[in-house]
Amino acid sequence: MSLVRHTSKKIAQGFFVIIISISIIFFLINLAPGDPIQFVAGDPIFLSKELVDYYRKMWGLDKPLYERFLIYLSNVFLRGDLGYSYRYSAPVIELIKERLPVTLLLTVVSNVLAFILGVALGLYASRKYTKLSDNLLSLVSFILNSTPTFLLGIVLMLAFSIHLKIFPVSGLIDVRNPKTGFMYYFDILYHSVLPIATLTFVLLPMYFKVVRDTALQQLGEDYVILCRAIGLDEGRIFKKHIFRNSILPPITLFMLQLGYSVAGAAITETVFGWPGVGRLLLDAIYQRDYPVILGVYLLVSISIVALSIIADLVYTILDPRIKTGGAS
Amino acid sequence: MTLTKHVKLACLFLLILIFSVTAEIAGLTALSLKNDLTNGSISQTDGGFCPAKGGTLVVIHFGDPKSFNPDAVADDPLYPVASQIFNKLVTLDANYNVIPDLAESWEVSPNASVYVFHLRKNVKWHDGVPLTCKDVKYTFLAMKNFTGVAAGLLNLNLLKSVECQDDYTVVFKFSQPNAPFLSFVAWYGTFILPEHIYNKTEYTNWMDPKIPALSKPVGTGPFKFVEYVKGSHIILEANKDYFKEGLPCLDRIVFKIVPDAVAAEQTFIAEGDVLLTTPPLTDLPKLNATPGVVVRTYPTPSRWFLAFNMLRDLTRNKDFRFAIAYALNRTDILYRAFSGFGFVAKGMYVPSISWAYNPNAQPPEFNLEKANQILNSLGFKVGSDGFRTYPNGTRLTLKLVSFQTAEINAMSQVIKEQLRKVGIDVSIELLDLGTFQQKAYREKNFDIAITDGFWGPDPHNLYLRFGGGGHNLPGYNNTQFNDLAMKAATTGDTSRRKDLYWSLQEILAQELPIVPLIDVLGFDVYKAEWIGFDRDLPGKVGLGVYEAVWSKAKLTTTPVSITTTQTSISPTSSPITSTTQPTPTEGITTTATLAVLVIVIVIIAAAVFMYIRKK
Repeated sequence: MSLVRHTSKKIAQGFFVIIISISIIFFLINLAPGDPIQFVAGDPIFLSKELVDYYRKMWGLDKPLYERFLIYLSNVFLRGDLGYSYRYSAPVIELIKERLPVTLLLTVVSNVLAFILGVALGLYASRKYTKLSDNLLSLVSFILNSTPTFLLGIVLMLAFSIHLKIFPVSGLIDVRNPKTGFMYYFDILYHSVLPIATLTFVLLPMYFKVVRDTALQQLGEDYVILCRAIGLDEGRIFKKHIFRNSILPPITLFMLQLGYSVAGAAITETVFGWPGVGRLLLDAIYQRDYPVILGVYLLVSISIVALSIIADLVYTILDPRIKTGGAS
Repeated sequence: MTLTKHVKLACLFLLILIFSVTAEIAGLTALSLKNDLTNGSISQTDGGFCPAKGGTLVVIHFGDPKSFNPDAVADDPLYPVASQIFNKLVTLDANYNVIPDLAESWEVSPNASVYVFHLRKNVKWHDGVPLTCKDVKYTFLAMKNFTGVAAGLLNLNLLKSVECQDDYTVVFKFSQPNAPFLSFVAWYGTFILPEHIYNKTEYTNWMDPKIPALSKPVGTGPFKFVEYVKGSHIILEANKDYFKEGLPCLDRIVFKIVPDAVAAEQTFIAEGDVLLTTPPLTDLPKLNATPGVVVRTYPTPSRWFLAFNMLRDLTRNKDFRFAIAYALNRTDILYRAFSGFGFVAKGMYVPSISWAYNPNAQPPEFNLEKANQILNSLGFKVGSDGFRTYPNGTRLTLKLVSFQTAEINAMSQVIKEQLRKVGIDVSIELLDLGTFQQKAYREKNFDIAITDGFWGPDPHNLYLRFGGGGHNLPGYNNTQFNDLAMKAATTGDTSRRKDLYWSLQEILAQELPIVPLIDVLGFDVYKAEWIGFDRDLPGKVGLGVYEAVWSKAKLTTTPVSITTTQTSISPTSSPITSTTQPTPTEGITTTATLAVLVIVIVIIAAAVFMYIRKK
């Protein structure tokens, strides 16, 4: 009962967060210098006054800013219309829909992988604290954490695609010999190994560090000393007690990351020529494609709000000590 | 206890990692380009001839097209694709000469106000409907009504009428002479569109999303559209009914979209045939040394230049502009900012549009003494800190505005350093492209600005860049210049036009509203297996069209006469002069193995070290 009230309150709050964030972004991109019409013309020698006027009118950029803002808000929240992309002259919703599955395949899978691996390795390292394996794992995670995504992507590409020729270099499918049926999906999976690996390695150290540190902190708690004093087996202490107490921080992280995952992973997508939302957003920012920028950010804010609500619910299940509706 | 050790080890590890990667990327090969097509090339003496048929050409492409209407907006990623699907009335060959396309012949009235095009009679759209004058008329009227990207360049606001004398004769009448029309028709945003698909009353304009041809284009070109997956690839297949008998030679073309330069280069080596994504320039020698890869270089009509703000007192002073020009060492810029990949810009117009280029109108050569002399005579005294000051004591500082690219980053630093030598301080402001265009072109908020641009296909481009319109970067305003430019644009007589453009270039050389810096190096990167590109068949094949491309690998069954041709490229100076002995490419695998070995050894050593320490 109180759970329902709590959740509906959260949803109402979330709605305001979405409206506020989209408003900020609307004014921010419109106040930023640059003009989408410049990108229609490419080289400035194409820019005639007629061309500028034509597109200004077509895109409604001749109206004052506040009027455009009200039109945009009413279109989005009353009619569910995200508008037309300037660059692609296609509905924004279609552009995002096309790319979303590809992006989610990349981001969700690597997030889940990084989460599982990170938690497992983190717990393992905390158990082997200051031993060789802990040192090695910490070292590797330190290196991975400080390696830029594009560098890691290119290194993996050079190693596994160019030299060992195990995986394809880039792209989503084999365009020279297109596959059909089941093999088509297998082909996509095959092409996704390296991008997923790259993103997993990028996300992994974060989970690893958080879990390792939380578990180490737990090891010093009184209840662990008590368990040890009772003579409980070390493996059992980890499985039963430390694991449950160290899992909450990485879950928060996981949910947060998942919220961003609809925005894609622009760098990984660019390196591997992967047609995802991240690249769409990046191109849109460069080309001042306002409707696309707003559309993607709207999606991101919705998904972050939604996931933070889900995270709240998950907490109450995982940790009965958290009372719903109470002060945290 | 472990933190500092971790940090040290990690640093070492990272260093090795970075070293191996950079060594990898640099390829560890000497800077040397193979002679183009050393093994001689097989030439198609006739554009309509395929020595071998079949095959798929995989083109590594740099971006997504904006739409499949090639005439609406400037769409560079669409252009290489549209060139295969569509045709224009006339087109440009690799040397920027106008050659026939859909029109097999044309006539221009002496005052360049009436143009008559005679269309080919055997042209069919990909859906089987024959192409007639109606399509041409629709296309040009749509360009005018819906403000196509080329409408301004074609001066369509002066278009009085476009009429069909019969199904295969189009007559354009302009209210004023319009001499640059033909070159601009051959260039950009002028592909002929199918009237029977576009022209329906239910469509509001030619970008109406309801038009099926916007997602599945129908053209007359050598290849038909098959499939487009956004961000991934575009597939085209041969058009069996193409109007050039026997063409195209290929079965299919696949454009694989890889925007990242390094990834594109690797994808090209692994599975591509043509590389359109611009690789890092310094990778060209490595690419050229890769077995089976051809890198062909040539000068282009695109040029980097430094514009003075003609609306500010300081830079409006002609002597001051000359002083800056004398202080710039452009050879130094070429080698330090472009690693030698390019050409020191000659003249006030581009030499690659050879008929209009005036070799006598040259910008000043590098001369520090003259620069200092002029600056002294202008009253800018050198202060104790080495910088010049205005008579009132404030430091002489120029605001350089440009946009962010690797070349500009390097170029602006070199320019700052060169101007430092004559005591001028430069503050650099590098923006993103959109902001730059707004600040520089519209607000004129700069002292000097650096940009690049395409100066062809017609010298009327000079009027666009220094005369009327919003693309006049320096804000140059000279009545004599404008009068001569208008005269040149209103005569159909080419030799008269040439004389006028020569005088325009002389005016520019005397007044120097810009300093031409570097002419952009053009290059084709493709696998040696393929032949029959635009540059192999000048005068026969349009720029960037793959209709006559065929594979030597398919040649085994059909014997043909093989003739060796000298490549027709005559760059003004060889871009890479330090041609050393080409080193064999033992490189890549060895480096990788070495790097992996080193990493493994380091890991083991670190492990042993830690183990011993703990004992």
